[in-house]
Amino acid sequence: MYSTLRNVTLAGALMGAGMAAAQDYPQEPIEVIVGFSAGGGTDVMARTVAPFLEKYLGDGASLVVKNVPGASGQIGVTETAHADPDGYTIGTYNLPGMMARTLDREADYDADSFTYLANVVNDPNVIVTSKRSGLDTLDKLLEAAAEEPGAVTVGMSSLGGDDHFMLTKLQNMTGSEYTIVPFRGSAPARTALLGGHVAMGILNISEVASFQDQINIIGVATDERSGFAPDVPTFKEQGLELVNGALRGFVAPAGLPDDVRGELLAAFDALKDDEEFLAAMTATANPVDVVTGDDFQALNAEILQTATQVWEETPWQ
Amino acid sequence: MYSDLLHSLPDVLGLANLAAIVIGVIAGIVVGAMPGLSATMAISVLVPFTFGLEPLVALGLMAGIYNGAMYGGAIPAVLLRIPGTPAAVATSFDGYPMAQKGEGGFALQVAVVSSSIGGIASALALMLLAPPLSKVTLLFGPAEVFWVAVFGLCSIIFLLGGNPVKGLVSACFGVFVSVVGSDPILGTDRFTFGKLELLDGVNIVILLVGLYALPPVIDLLETPLKTEQKSGKLGTEPIWKALPRMTGFWMTWLRSSLIGIWIGILPGAGGSMAAFMSYNEARRASKTPETWGKGEPEGVAAAETANNADTASALIPALTLGIPGTAVAAVMLGGLLIHGLQPGPMLFRDNPDVVFGFMWQFLFGAILLVFLGGSLATNSFARLLNLPRPLLGSVIIVLMLIGVYSIHSRMFDVYLMLGFGAIGYVMDKLKFPLPPVVLGLILGAFAEENLRLALRIGRGDWGVLFANTTSLILVALTVAVVVGPLVKRRLQARKTDAS
Amino acid sequence: MSTPLKDRLLRAETLAAAGIVVVAAGFLVPAAALPPMSALLPATMLIALIVLALALLISDQRKASKGEAAEQVTHSPKRVAGAFLLVVAYAVAVDFVGFYPSTIVSVPLVAWIFGFRNPAGLALATAITVGAIFVIFSLAMSQSFPAGRLWTL
Repeated sequence: MYSTLRNVTLAGALMGAGMAAAQDYPQEPIEVIVGFSAGGGTDVMARTVAPFLEKYLGDGASLVVKNVPGASGQIGVTETAHADPDGYTIGTYNLPGMMARTLDREADYDADSFTYLANVVNDPNVIVTSKRSGLDTLDKLLEAAAEEPGAVTVGMSSLGGDDHFMLTKLQNMTGSEYTIVPFRGSAPARTALLGGHVAMGILNISEVASFQDQINIIGVATDERSGFAPDVPTFKEQGLELVNGALRGFVAPAGLPDDVRGELLAAFDALKDDEEFLAAMTATANPVDVVTGDDFQALNAEILQTATQVWEETPWQ
Repeated sequence: MYSDLLHSLPDVLGLANLAAIVIGVIAGIVVGAMPGLSATMAISVLVPFTFGLEPLVALGLMAGIYNGAMYGGAIPAVLLRIPGTPAAVATSFDGYPMAQKGEGGFALQVAVVSSSIGGIASALALMLLAPPLSKVTLLFGPAEVFWVAVFGLCSIIFLLGGNPVKGLVSACFGVFVSVVGSDPILGTDRFTFGKLELLDGVNIVILLVGLYALPPVIDLLETPLKTEQKSGKLGTEPIWKALPRMTGFWMTWLRSSLIGIWIGILPGAGGSMAAFMSYNEARRASKTPETWGKGEPEGVAAAETANNADTASALIPALTLGIPGTAVAAVMLGGLLIHGLQPGPMLFRDNPDVVFGFMWQFLFGAILLVFLGGSLATNSFARLLNLPRPLLGSVIIVLMLIGVYSIHSRMFDVYLMLGFGAIGYVMDKLKFPLPPVVLGLILGAFAEENLRLALRIGRGDWGVLFANTTSLILVALTVAVVVGPLVKRRLQARKTDAS
Repeated sequence: MSTPLKDRLLRAETLAAAGIVVVAAGFLVPAAALPPMSALLPATMLIALIVLALALLISDQRKASKGEAAEQVTHSPKRVAGAFLLVVAYAVAVDFVGFYPSTIVSVPLVAWIFGFRNPAGLALATAITVGAIFVIFSLAMSQSFPAGRLWTL
């Protein structure tokens, strides 16, 4: 049943490209390209957002998730960038990853390839230390790092990701130096931290919220304390202007007609105050921070600038 | 905790949840038994659907499929020498020779009983020992995991076959394939030639289908049509008659269950390594190692026990620490997250009914395996082998394409599989052994990644590899396994010289 | 009895060994461009492959000079090549024409070419295979298979 529906969609998309008018949109199912396998963090976000978006788009709108996994999301986002800008193909978008890939790898897209719809999730970075390290406050940590540059080992999920940029910011701010241990993903990094194999870790708050008893959470890189772990102080409270995180949102190909863009932005805007939506996102470990349209584009530009700076000063490849 | 365990039982016994397990096990056996289709693929195809299901129904399906597929893979491994899943490669070592001797039915019965025993042992470990076993996982940092990988790689020595040079060529080829993709530490592209599809490396299923399924299919087509030739004199007898012939296996069952559980709680290695290791250990312990590889039922028992013993135990680190022990466990973790079940210590506190229910489902799935995978399933698949060979071949080709395509929904993987198929055909005919390729692919980059992580932690000091007791024990074990047989042979030679 | 040089060089194992040397040496070029730690394992493997393949080549040539028969890859190279080409053709057809049309043609065609000529059997097998795949994958699991690149251009 679904496959016939899909075929109709494809045929329809071919004929109707560019004809969509605001009051008619959406007439067909909207394909959401997710750059990761079903069940991954980004996929769960997309599938959680989908029914709410359907609700606010109205007119029996339907969203169909299509997983195009591979290369940390790059294959999927490339497909989004090259799709027809008719509003019937949108895709998930991860920051800083998608912008960092335009720096450290040949990419068939850049910051201008997209119509920025909305950021939905902002998962702030946290600095954590293993119980065994004894470094249970920011001061102790900075002291240990200052004492012997490189003595503190830092587990993180990969180079060129939000964790890495967070550490670079910390190093620049405090003039300290650490030894980076890039694991394959955040779960192995967290496990190494639990086992005391690395002293410090940079992760995201959603990843450590349920491990608060097993590790020390030194601080969270947000302006205000996070609802996920309200006991954890921000770095601002501790005198460091550290704000950083992983962002997950949605983009469409560049050149989306204004009326279609307007419809989509309005739907995303409505998510901000939907209690049911916020609860569903919390249940799936997704800290929500909805930023739509031009603000999202500005945010993207800002992150790209940070990434470019880090890449030029300390290329990680 | 144990009261939570009992408390969750009634839920699991609900009609829908029980039905889910039964359907899951049957579907798993079928998927595993189809050359080309794998458990990982089946569960990834299923995950999007579990959004709409009750958590326990969804999890029951997955647990059933996982258990079923680990046994199902043995069916074509025994009957056609095509392992249905990566973990069934070791099953074919003795299973296929058994089938050629007309003992295929018994081989499958050994496989189903052993799978079930391994699965039950693993489920019990998950139910009763998850928290302490997760502490064992924590002992294994990059340095220790590196030594585990080295230990596994050393078992290649026993898989080299008649010509060691050819065996080593196979192993080096496997390790080389494992490094294709983005560098595990730096993220630099290695041998991807600008293909994004290669960045995540070569999926084991693609290699396996190419190397193991394509050559036999070509053979099926190539051999002139002789439908008169009875390919499947299976020699089945009712399972209660076969059971007494397995009484001597209890040591193997025990040892292989422990190995499977242990490999399961170590993230990253997976069922194939468990099966290889347990096969080797069982052979080393055997009084008649010379019969191995020529149709020794105990070899089938060792491999099949271990590849099921790692199913539930792979969920121990997955549930408690969020690190999946196998590719399938990784997909299952996604299935849990969909239902708002976030792995970690809180999981057992916040959602005991679902988590403990899931564990029961693994147990029931493993028990059901004997009944559902017994003579009925086995016989129906064996009958397929009596199909005319060209027909069988042309159908398997379609299954191979579907199985490989569905992993990432892309044709690139299918072409890659065909490339490996061509290589595999030549290797097979020139008697280059295939198992070292599989083991090399699984463990090569895995060892490299952990070595380099360990060296980073040690800030370039190689001493970090010998810095603690766990590492030293693993080094000692490796040396014993490699040097032991050599010393033994030398001593025996001296003894015969003397007499 | 000495074998002619051409036969000696065309022994399957000699050809395979030479092939391994050439391909492995070829891969050393991109390996050289990698950062040292990144290149270590692959370069080691490639060099090991070259050394091992040379050893194979020498031992096979020794066998040849002793007049031992070469390993035979297949009795009917044409059938093997034909079978392989058919599989490749099927994959290409799936890619360009679409999964279902290609499969409906390929299942009976391959079986027919290789000697199974019973029309009823062919029709039944094709119907069962394609039907089962359609019901399980397309209907129940809403998996999409390649629709054929030719039609989407």
